[in-house]
Amino acid sequence: MTGNKIKVGFYSLTGCAGDFLNILNMEDKLLEVFKLLDVVEFALASSKVVHEKVDVAFIEGSVTTQKDLEVLKKIRENCNVLVALGNCAVWGGVQAELTGLDAKDLMKSVYNTTENYYSFLGEHKAVSEVVKVDYELPGCPIEVEEFLELLIDVIRGVIPEFKDYPVCVECKIREIPCLIVERGEACLGPITVGGCKARCPYYNAPCIGCRGPVKEEANVAGELSMLLEKGWKKQEVINRLRLFAARYKDIAKLLER
Amino acid sequence: MLKENFKDFFETLKKLGEVHAPVRRGRLFSFTKVDSPGEVALNYNRTMLPPKKYFVKPFEEVLKIKVGKGYELIVEEPKSLVLLGLHACDINALRVLDSVYLDEPQDDYYQVRRAAAIVIGVSCEPDEYCFCKSMGTDYAWTGFDLFLHELGTSYLVRVGSSRGESIIESMSNIIGEPTKEDFIKLRDLELKRSRMFKKILNTSLLPDIVDSLHESEVWVVFSDKCVSCGSCNLVCPTCRCYDVTEKVELNLQEGVRVRRWDSCFIRSHALVAGGLNFRPTRLDRFRHRYNCKSSIDPRTNLPFCVGCGRCSAFCPAGIDHVNVLNAIWGLA
Ligand code: SF4
Ligand code: SF4
Ligand code: SF4
Ligand code: SF4
Repeated sequence: MTGNKIKVGFYSLTGCAGDFLNILNMEDKLLEVFKLLDVVEFALASSKVVHEKVDVAFIEGSVTTQKDLEVLKKIRENCNVLVALGNCAVWGGVQAELTGLDAKDLMKSVYNTTENYYSFLGEHKAVSEVVKVDYELPGCPIEVEEFLELLIDVIRGVIPEFKDYPVCVECKIREIPCLIVERGEACLGPITVGGCKARCPYYNAPCIGCRGPVKEEANVAGELSMLLEKGWKKQEVINRLRLFAARYKDIAKLLER
Repeated sequence: MLKENFKDFFETLKKLGEVHAPVRRGRLFSFTKVDSPGEVALNYNRTMLPPKKYFVKPFEEVLKIKVGKGYELIVEEPKSLVLLGLHACDINALRVLDSVYLDEPQDDYYQVRRAAAIVIGVSCEPDEYCFCKSMGTDYAWTGFDLFLHELGTSYLVRVGSSRGESIIESMSNIIGEPTKEDFIKLRDLELKRSRMFKKILNTSLLPDIVDSLHESEVWVVFSDKCVSCGSCNLVCPTCRCYDVTEKVELNLQEGVRVRRWDSCFIRSHALVAGGLNFRPTRLDRFRHRYNCKSSIDPRTNLPFCVGCGRCSAFCPAGIDHVNVLNAIWGLA
């Protein structure tokens, strides 16, 4: 820490940078936020790359390439607290949807080559699969209010609290008609961790699970059989489940061939 | 009171406070602020959230914090509220909540709002989810100010409190004396209603069912289907668990303590310091909810489940409260 500021770095692995963009977008708060931080590196805001020690490292993106892997290990060595931000860092992102498919085949079908141009690791891993992660903030992208709460807790040395309730809880509180009960839609809200205030059901669209599963709790088998009973086909449900959470243990099991 | 006088009745209520009543929203109903009598849907089946939401808010700030210096209660100016159109089950549920929140130590946030609320009940007909009759909560004896029994072209107005008494005294121009025929009509309609219940819960052993039939496979079958969404807790008029957290501002000096509705289907509900969780699995939580809902409130002697049918009607997995308990009995 320098003065009362904490030293932080914002590091990007493989992803769309949407989480950091969301942070930079909170223009009304940014000055106040940066008053609390001594930012040594911020991939999206400046191309400066330093390998300095930091109090807190914020990481977005999945571990997809050899370079991601090396950078991540270095970041871990250089930080006290490591925070994974967003679905890519927490669950591997939409790219991890390919879990279970052969990387060579994919390369062939997209680039018509079997050569590995990007030193692709063959799968898109979550940060926690590679190094120890202290905190994980889900979302695709993250909700900035949740980021601020986490940041404030980390600065104050308070153990942060993460939501462990599903989107359905937020639906109920807003008295949103349930898309499963009323219309038999394939909503993933019951197994998806809340925090978005049920954004999609509020607009009449089923939750596609962008915030990822409720850790250790999501009843994937229950969700699947519930939707089968509503008339959905198994493959249709699996395709939805894999979109944002292919690396959640029970979903990964369904994807094994 | 003749139905054509309902308009005037409503206008008089508006003078007593902000009127909230069930309003149709698509296929569902919700207690909402109403300005004109036409918006009120008195013949509704059930609202998603119970009237509880007016007294314990889903999410509310309870304290202002000055970090390191102390805190200050957030005290709300009591606002007069008229809750129009509560069913008997919801009135009985409020009695259960009262006994919990108004018992020592009293919850001041609840007390202020509850004291400022006039409760007006309305009679109803059961649908495929209602089982209040099995629970003995299909009739409201107390817990309301006025109760409107629909008798075709008129309402028989029952008085439940001295406040209710003075309200109808001020309305003598629109509420006349009931006739002998009115009471006969009421009796016939109540008998007819009582025969309409399709959902019947076997209530023998109910308060002990989870303990005595703890090992039943039926719990496992249903808890496998349950997706832990928490909906059944959130819509329940007698669920009373809340969680308390603190939020500090970016200036690191000020903050608030908030409380929000909790659900016993969520992992952290039974998580205690040190990481121990005394209901670690979904099965434990599933049984726990049935244990809670099947017990009797010792202060009111009312059951903790008033049979409103919300948990069954709003469960995405189609788990029906009565079917589960009857299945434990081997009845389904
Ligand atoms: S709409 Fe989806 S998220 Fe909302 S309550 Fe229903 S299942 Fe849950
Ligand atoms: S409702 Fe589901 S898909 Fe939509 S924002 Fe929330 S978590 Fe993402
Ligand atoms: S347990 Fe279900 S039926 Fe009973 S009061 Fe609660 S929501 Fe109503
Ligand atoms: S509403 Fe149904 S699926 Fe959701 S927690 Fe309750 S019993 Fe389980």
